[in-house]
Amino acid sequence: MSKGFASNRRMLLVASGVLACFGLVALRLVFLHVIDRDDLLKYVEKARRQLVVEHARRGTILDAHGNVLATSRSFVVLGADPEMLRREDEPKWSELARLLDLPPAQVTALLRRGQTASRFALATAGEPAKAKRLRWVKLTDEVEESVYDRVLALGIRGVYGQRDYKRVYPAGQLAAHLLGYVNREGTPVSGAEHSLDLYLKGQDGWIESEKDGARRELAQFRSREVAAQDGNDVVLTIDSVVQHIIEDELKLLAAKYSPHFATIIVSDPRTGAILGLANYPSFDPNHFNQATLDALRDNAVSDIVEPGSTFKIVAAGAALDQGLVTPQTMFDCGKTVINYKGRDRKLPKEDEPFGMLSVADIVAHSSNRGAAQLAMLMGEDKFYAYARAYGFGQSTRFPLGGEVRGILEPPAKWDGLTITRMPMGHAIAATPLQIHFAMSAVANGGALLRPEIIKEIRDSSGAVVRTFAPEKRTQVLKPSTAALLAQLLTRVVTEGTGKVAEIPGFEVAGKTGTTQKLVDGKYVNNRHVASFVGFFPASRPQLVLSVIVDDAKVPGGSAYGRVVSAPAFKHIAEQLIQYYDIQPVRPAAPRFFALNGGAP
Amino acid sequence: MESSPSAVVPRRTLSITPASVILVCVAALLAIGLAVLFSASSTAKGGPYAYLYKQLIFLGLALGAGWMVARADLEQLRKFSWLCAGVALLALVLVLIPHIGITVKGSRRWLGLGSARLQVSEFAKLALVFSLAHYLALNQSRLHEFVRGFVLPAAWVGGFAVLILAEPDFGTALLTGGLGMILLFLAGARLRFLLPSIAVALTGFTVLVLHNPNRLRRITSFLDVEAHRGDGAYQLWQAILAFAAGGTGGVGLGNGRQQNSFLPEAHTDFIFAILGEELGLWFTLLVVALFITIFVAGLMHVRRAPNLFQFLLVTGCLLLVCLQAIINLGVVTGMLPTKGMSLPFISAGGSNLLLMGLLVGIIINTSRAWARPRPLLRKRALTEVTG
Repeated sequence: MSKGFASNRRMLLVASGVLACFGLVALRLVFLHVIDRDDLLKYVEKARRQLVVEHARRGTILDAHGNVLATSRSFVVLGADPEMLRREDEPKWSELARLLDLPPAQVTALLRRGQTASRFALATAGEPAKAKRLRWVKLTDEVEESVYDRVLALGIRGVYGQRDYKRVYPAGQLAAHLLGYVNREGTPVSGAEHSLDLYLKGQDGWIESEKDGARRELAQFRSREVAAQDGNDVVLTIDSVVQHIIEDELKLLAAKYSPHFATIIVSDPRTGAILGLANYPSFDPNHFNQATLDALRDNAVSDIVEPGSTFKIVAAGAALDQGLVTPQTMFDCGKTVINYKGRDRKLPKEDEPFGMLSVADIVAHSSNRGAAQLAMLMGEDKFYAYARAYGFGQSTRFPLGGEVRGILEPPAKWDGLTITRMPMGHAIAATPLQIHFAMSAVANGGALLRPEIIKEIRDSSGAVVRTFAPEKRTQVLKPSTAALLAQLLTRVVTEGTGKVAEIPGFEVAGKTGTTQKLVDGKYVNNRHVASFVGFFPASRPQLVLSVIVDDAKVPGGSAYGRVVSAPAFKHIAEQLIQYYDIQPVRPAAPRFFALNGGAP
Repeated sequence: MESSPSAVVPRRTLSITPASVILVCVAALLAIGLAVLFSASSTAKGGPYAYLYKQLIFLGLALGAGWMVARADLEQLRKFSWLCAGVALLALVLVLIPHIGITVKGSRRWLGLGSARLQVSEFAKLALVFSLAHYLALNQSRLHEFVRGFVLPAAWVGGFAVLILAEPDFGTALLTGGLGMILLFLAGARLRFLLPSIAVALTGFTVLVLHNPNRLRRITSFLDVEAHRGDGAYQLWQAILAFAAGGTGGVGLGNGRQQNSFLPEAHTDFIFAILGEELGLWFTLLVVALFITIFVAGLMHVRRAPNLFQFLLVTGCLLLVCLQAIINLGVVTGMLPTKGMSLPFISAGGSNLLLMGLLVGIIINTSRAWARPRPLLRKRALTEVTG
């Protein structure tokens, strides 16, 4: 290559070595710039991209009259960037401590700790990896906006806050099971908070930007800013007043009977709108972490009980609806055995001895044998079909979810006694809400509605963005049958098992129910589910009300529905009549025609 | 180019000589360097203007020094080569003495007053080349001997290397030692002396590295950059990312982000990475091409050397530029373990710029001084001098 003082070979060797090195560098550059680029860019993107999330405000949950049940309060998490602190600001630290209501020594210690960490990091900056620089020291968790403004007014460089929201339930325990709660991580766990999260949560905004190696934002490279979109407000059909009334009643029941659980539901039969729903035991969503698991359960939808005699509306309604009987059709309720489909079937026991009873009396006095004979009259399949139509054994499609379906076996799985036992509400299990809505169908001219709990959705400016119309599920009974059954049910209150619940002049229709509890697969005769489910006024129903008390402890007696639930029903009904200003109804003559005429 | 005063050939006003090519390449590198430096130091402490002004001042000094060297008579200067080398050795010793040498990040490399600091080893490299060339030229007929042709020059080179190693500055020590060995090799020292001693030196060097946990970590993390991107290889990893971010076209001058607290020493040793991000593949390749051009032009130039001293001197200067460039480029692109070595003509740093001024000055000097051989006479003239 070269001729000079060195030998050509040696010169050539050195020259080619140097050139080879340069060539390798060039090759390597092609790799870095082009070939490995895509793989490496991922790291670049990760290191540089910065997303600052701006939290959306979660929507408010209101009752039907605009009372706030759940809302989000904004607050500030206050802290400091130790690297930004200045010596000349140190005299202001004590003022800061005073504003935050913290001991000055604690504030000083926190800020100093951050500073030492940071200085240490700077001292070893020669090895950038070791330099985990401390850029945030939290001073206090929650500062009110007004206090934060005053902290900012102090002008301490490096002290700043991050806004966030906290979920609060101003009414405390009120409607806790309907509202559910949002946990500390901001995840909605149950109730409306969970199932309506889509409406409530809103959309977090963000600022897309770049940061430098020390994680400081480079504002000149901000590429996108999306403002947070606050969540929608949800208006429930709940009425806080009704809710208060039933929760107070639950407290009374709890104090008196200390039940396993108790559920009270109030709804408008014409729309299916739930006006109040409460369970005992309950909890305060503000302190959900102190509640027991039992208290967190919404028993109204997630627990099942045997409905007992309240279920007799199925057999009676079905028989009347098919025209198999009239209210006057007589049955011998003194029989203990009856031949059905070629086999003798033992009939269940009665609470009191009955002789010949009309259908109307069977309902009024809650005859178990009468109900069994009504069911036998139509056969298993028809009876089963009606039970299904009433909504048993299937979801009510409760909008807040969390429901269980209850148990209603098809006839194929029945044993020989089921046809005699199911009509009295045994061998079947239902949620309190299912029982309530079965009765509600009777009150609503035979139409079974879907429970309604959401009235409307409003956006953050208050404009209504979505409303919910009543949703009919099935027509269980003909309207005329339903009206007839309603009249029969008033006799439960006027002269039957539910006399305790009578409110003169208000045509209360209802049905008591008492079942022995199944404990370890056996019915025990000292533990009961007591219920009273009814509506009023019977001729033009406005409210359906259920009181279901599981395992009430009644001293020296049995926890029958008429003992435990009917008085509570009456107590609530009286308050509701007053609150809704429901006018008394004079007994109307046409109804008696219906009574006497039977089903068309 | 001006024609030399002692021109043998008739004066030609427009001629492309290797030295003029080198000068153009250097000017191009300086221009690119200043532009990138301004951007790379934009987030450095003191701001970009501080670095730009400082670099411009040193550029002026370097031009002055280069001009002076270019006008001097090398054969006259040669008389002072031992003196130069002695001063350089003394400075290398002085810098090791606490309170005289200035320590930065654990290395004692600088001598100076106030803000004016000089990195001694930069000039020691030149002094070594100068004195070594002088010695080897004096003893060119006895270079096959063991003592004269090997032991003495090798010890001389070793002395420089060990003193630099003690600062500690492993990179420069390796460069200095390697350069000395190459010059010995080119001058004709026997391979059977040279190769074993290189092996011994490398072994010693390796042992030293193994006994220094800091250096060792640099080497081990260098071997797996991605795994060590959080600690040992952070700087290198950020440099590699800079090249990727640049792609072929670059993100544009002033648009680079890696200098934003991502890449340490973005304006000095790792400035090439910033160049890669802002200007892209074509410019990084251009820089490499410019260095290759300087090297090739230098090789063409050195063929006309009138004697062994000047041949070795110019080759040494050329190798100082190119080897330093190779080491820096190798380090920044992750082909060599990280060591502090600036990129000639581009990195911020006064001492190195000054040295580069001197090196280019020497090349210009020789270009002016060496007779332009007539094509017909060339062969004979060369055989004459090579003997």
